[in-house]
Amino acid sequence: MQSGLDFQPGPYIRRQDEYCQWLKGGFLNTFVVPNIGLFSLFLAFLVAIYAAVAAVFGVRQQNPKWIESGRAAMLLTFPLLSIACVALIFLLVTGRYEFKYVASVTSDTMPTYLRITSLWGGQAGSLLFWSWLMAAFTGAVGLRKWDRDREFLPWVILVTMGTLAFFLLLVVFIENPFARLWQSLDGSQIAAPFRPRGAVPLFPSDGIGLNPLLRHLGMIIHPPMLYLGFVSYVIPYAFAIAALATGRTDARWIKLTRRWSLVAWLFLSLGLILGGRWAYDVLGWGGYWGWDPVEIAALMPWLAGTAFLHSVMIQEKRGILKHWNMLLIILTYALVIFGTFLTRSGVLSSVHAFAQSAMGPLFLGFIGVTFISSVALLIHRWSDLKGENHLDSVISRESLFLLNNLLFMGILVICFWGVLFPLISELFTGQKVTVGPIFYKRATAPLWGGILLLMGIAPLSVYGRTSWQRLGSALWKPALAALIFEFILVVQGVRSIAALIGYGLAAFVAFVTLYEFWRGTKARRKRHKESFPTALWRMARRNRRRYGGYVIHLGIVLMAFGIIGIEMFQTETQATLAQGEQLTLGRYTMVFDSLSEWDTNEGRNVARAVVQIYREDKFLGELYPRRDFYYASQQSMTIPGVRSTLEDDFYVLLVGWEPIAAQGTTFKVYHNPLVNFIWMGGFVFILGTLVAAWPERESLPSRKRVSTRGALMRA
Amino acid sequence: MEKLSGIQENREFVEARETSRNWGTMLVWALVLGLLAILGLGLARAQEGPIGIGRNVPEFTLTTFDGEQLNINKSRGKVVLVNFWASWCKPCQQEAAELEEAYQNFKDRDVIFLGVDYVDTEKEALAYLEKFQITYANGPDLGTKISQAFRIRGVPETFIIDRNGIIVDIKIGPYTSLAEIENALQTALEQ
Repeated sequence: MQSGLDFQPGPYIRRQDEYCQWLKGGFLNTFVVPNIGLFSLFLAFLVAIYAAVAAVFGVRQQNPKWIESGRAAMLLTFPLLSIACVALIFLLVTGRYEFKYVASVTSDTMPTYLRITSLWGGQAGSLLFWSWLMAAFTGAVGLRKWDRDREFLPWVILVTMGTLAFFLLLVVFIENPFARLWQSLDGSQIAAPFRPRGAVPLFPSDGIGLNPLLRHLGMIIHPPMLYLGFVSYVIPYAFAIAALATGRTDARWIKLTRRWSLVAWLFLSLGLILGGRWAYDVLGWGGYWGWDPVEIAALMPWLAGTAFLHSVMIQEKRGILKHWNMLLIILTYALVIFGTFLTRSGVLSSVHAFAQSAMGPLFLGFIGVTFISSVALLIHRWSDLKGENHLDSVISRESLFLLNNLLFMGILVICFWGVLFPLISELFTGQKVTVGPIFYKRATAPLWGGILLLMGIAPLSVYGRTSWQRLGSALWKPALAALIFEFILVVQGVRSIAALIGYGLAAFVAFVTLYEFWRGTKARRKRHKESFPTALWRMARRNRRRYGGYVIHLGIVLMAFGIIGIEMFQTETQATLAQGEQLTLGRYTMVFDSLSEWDTNEGRNVARAVVQIYREDKFLGELYPRRDFYYASQQSMTIPGVRSTLEDDFYVLLVGWEPIAAQGTTFKVYHNPLVNFIWMGGFVFILGTLVAAWPERESLPSRKRVSTRGALMRA
Repeated sequence: MEKLSGIQENREFVEARETSRNWGTMLVWALVLGLLAILGLGLARAQEGPIGIGRNVPEFTLTTFDGEQLNINKSRGKVVLVNFWASWCKPCQQEAAELEEAYQNFKDRDVIFLGVDYVDTEKEALAYLEKFQITYANGPDLGTKISQAFRIRGVPETFIIDRNGIIVDIKIGPYTSLAEIENALQTALEQ
């Protein structure tokens, strides 16, 4: 999201003699640290290439020594990139604006914590950060015990290190965060790590600073979460490719990567939710999700990953859907890469787009290699991936899971089409036709509804064959409860059919899930003579994956309540008010009290309004919608005043004002019912994922073995 | 004999399956390569980049909702503000009232406002204009020709063109205040 502004020289340049003075005192900081960073970065690039080559060579020569050497090289990338990251953070914190990256994302007025997080505030730094995370994850994989899965190792090294080498190629040669600013002989400004012929170094005295929109807690955590999610999908993908390459296509690769894919999914979900929260707090359009192409680019791997998470359970239990799981993990990873490409190459028009750069064509090449080699491998092994069983019944758990997968794929296809359609229509008709949020909402809404319905039915079905009778007897109580809930809604005055269907389905899932908890606990109480909370706790602990999954479902239900609330019942209005005037929206009244404007000492102009909020003549409090203008980056940020309750949000934006407040100030006001259920649901959702992904006690003995072995090796 | 024909049938079955698999494989490859080709095309377009400040305004004709034809070349000697918007575009609503207000303040000073409605339906677009009481010339971007000529990245996006037909200001995203629009126009007028 960083704009590609050229850094303006001129008044910013420090005088040469002043610089020399400064240099004497800071030789270490100015030359040693950045060069160590640059050197480690380059070394990491070479080491990653070596690791991949050594692994392949080891397989060809059947020589485990080469593979072991590849593994050692793989482990080395993490410390090397850590050094590079620390060096860059040092430059950011100490404000070395002679480095282009530092000058473009930090400024004197920024506090230290923001300078540190600027590591991922722009293109070059975020690519380095991404590579560092990837090195960390592959390092963790490299350290695991490989005895039983030795044949996977070289392929996992090849895939992970090949990917890392590609990203480092971009960091070193295209977007180098250690590039300095130079002025060449013809007066143009260039950025290069080393001094170009005849160029003079530039020393800006201050930087542009991080895009103010990104100076928000949600935005500071959101990108790393997404990156973590994206990067961790490399691991299951690498194992899947290893399984295809070695022909060991049983469920082993799935068992090995189960936790990785759950963790990847957790981070991806967290990234999406935080992104939504950030949009709601900062972007100032009263919403949390705008079906922006880049949002969709992050949603697509999540959709494929969610389908994968469900369908691997079927392969583990029943030995079917092997093709499907391979396809899904390859698809998920391909979408991760695809999404990264879309956001960073400037192909899509979007608020999230990074500045254009030369990395587009390289990235396209990398996507081509990834897609083509994965598909070729998959086709090559297609006949080995035959299932060991068949689908027996339409209402078995496996059939319902397959149906769930198809619905997710349906949504994925719609999103994919929506993202690519402008490119395709331009190709065939010469017209660029974009599809707006309405398209996505209308096309995906029934599919989301179907997923909700399945979330209610599938947990009650069993593997193999479920009789209608059994299913019916398990379903009727929650279904009845959902109907009663519907009735209450109608009595309360809800008339929208779509909302009623949505709420009915969500309530149904909630009742089914709670009923499942209750039934399980009751059975356990009877067997073990335990108190209710103990029984609930022990039951959930014994089957974390299942009950964690149920908690996730409850989180989705809460989110569904919020989403339906804001999508269907959001109201808005806009008015220009003089002091003392008021506007009304629904049951709320807002009175404009005053407006003030001032400069802060960190280079920001603030315009802040004071408004009083009443509901049915009862005074609720004051809100302070404001607009911050950042002088250095010439950007402004609208921060809404929000009165937030469980029931609804009253969301006020300051959109315009006269120099003298008495003449009138324009406000945009939203009433967002139930929106907090989204964040609450998100919280429950993450909690459920943690429950499901938390290391099981049963795995302790094996971990102990590893550590004793480690101790032996150290000894 | 029976056995033999059974083998025959089986072979035919296997062959039929092989052929359909071959077709399937080819289809998969066609899709993968097609996708890559489309991405390559998109990338090639993106590398051209948006048109910049200091460049000549691309030639275009806007047909307004009232059917009037406005050619940009006929507006030499005046400052022109070209605003791309759409009724489905939430951020556009943020600046709609301010744009109209700026127009009221500047319309007697050799300034023309053109609203280009990007990928929209007429009914909703007219309702939008009605809602924000917009009075300056507005028209649909027929065949997305104008937005392609300006290579916009999204809506809203606003271009200000000086008296000589040179682009002097580009605003990506909505204006945040009336003052911002008026300052940009003032600068363009003084050039």
